[in-house]
Amino acid sequence: MKRTLQVLNDLERHHVFSRYAIGGAMAATFYVEPLLTFDLDVFVALAKDGGRLTSLAPIYDALRARGYSEEKECVLIEGVPVQFLPAYNSLLQEALTEAAETQYEGVGTRVVRAEYLVAICLQTGRAKDRERVRILREQADLDLPRLAEVLARHNLEERWKQWTA
Amino acid sequence: MDGIRPEIRQLFAAKEARRRVLAALPFPAKVAVVVKLQEMAAPLLKTRGRSVRTWQIEEIQP
Repeated sequence: MKRTLQVLNDLERHHVFSRYAIGGAMAATFYVEPLLTFDLDVFVALAKDGGRLTSLAPIYDALRARGYSEEKECVLIEGVPVQFLPAYNSLLQEALTEAAETQYEGVGTRVVRAEYLVAICLQTGRAKDRERVRILREQADLDLPRLAEVLARHNLEERWKQWTA
Repeated sequence: MDGIRPEIRQLFAAKEARRRVLAALPFPAKVAVVVKLQEMAAPLLKTRGRSVRTWQIEEIQP
């Protein structure tokens, strides 16, 4: 995955997107026990649009030019199927802005913070999101005041109450 | 966990402890575990008609 992250950093350096952060199950794995996933979800703010939902075509074009091919909804980058997800709403944009800087075997990267992973799961609302919230509550060292602020800002308090009752 | 026999309770506690150990691993080691999980799950998923790709990476062994 180190080489995959190097490619993502290179795309950011070349302004293919303005910022990226690891999300989804792999981001959750950063905070809790390893979770089975087959994709690396990557949230991106697209370079020229302020993060609004637009085409991912420039990313695919840039990766194709580097020799990486699309595979279903992913692009296979250095052995890892990467799924790019535009930060299409205010919660995702904030999650991307606030993502934690970290190192992966000497390569800099960003991971969505655990509090935002919880909020995104609440907003998405699938059965597997509910299970992920349970695991994050159980194992991640959640910053509860921060989580409360995020949930209030994005009107997710009611669902949090329902899911944690 | 009322009503559970002590030896079963001990098993649950051991599982919980194991999960805490896994949660505390460095990120690259966790990624290596995820790849192992993929390798275990892929054949089962294939029998259900779901084709998945296991990651081909150079990560350290957990």
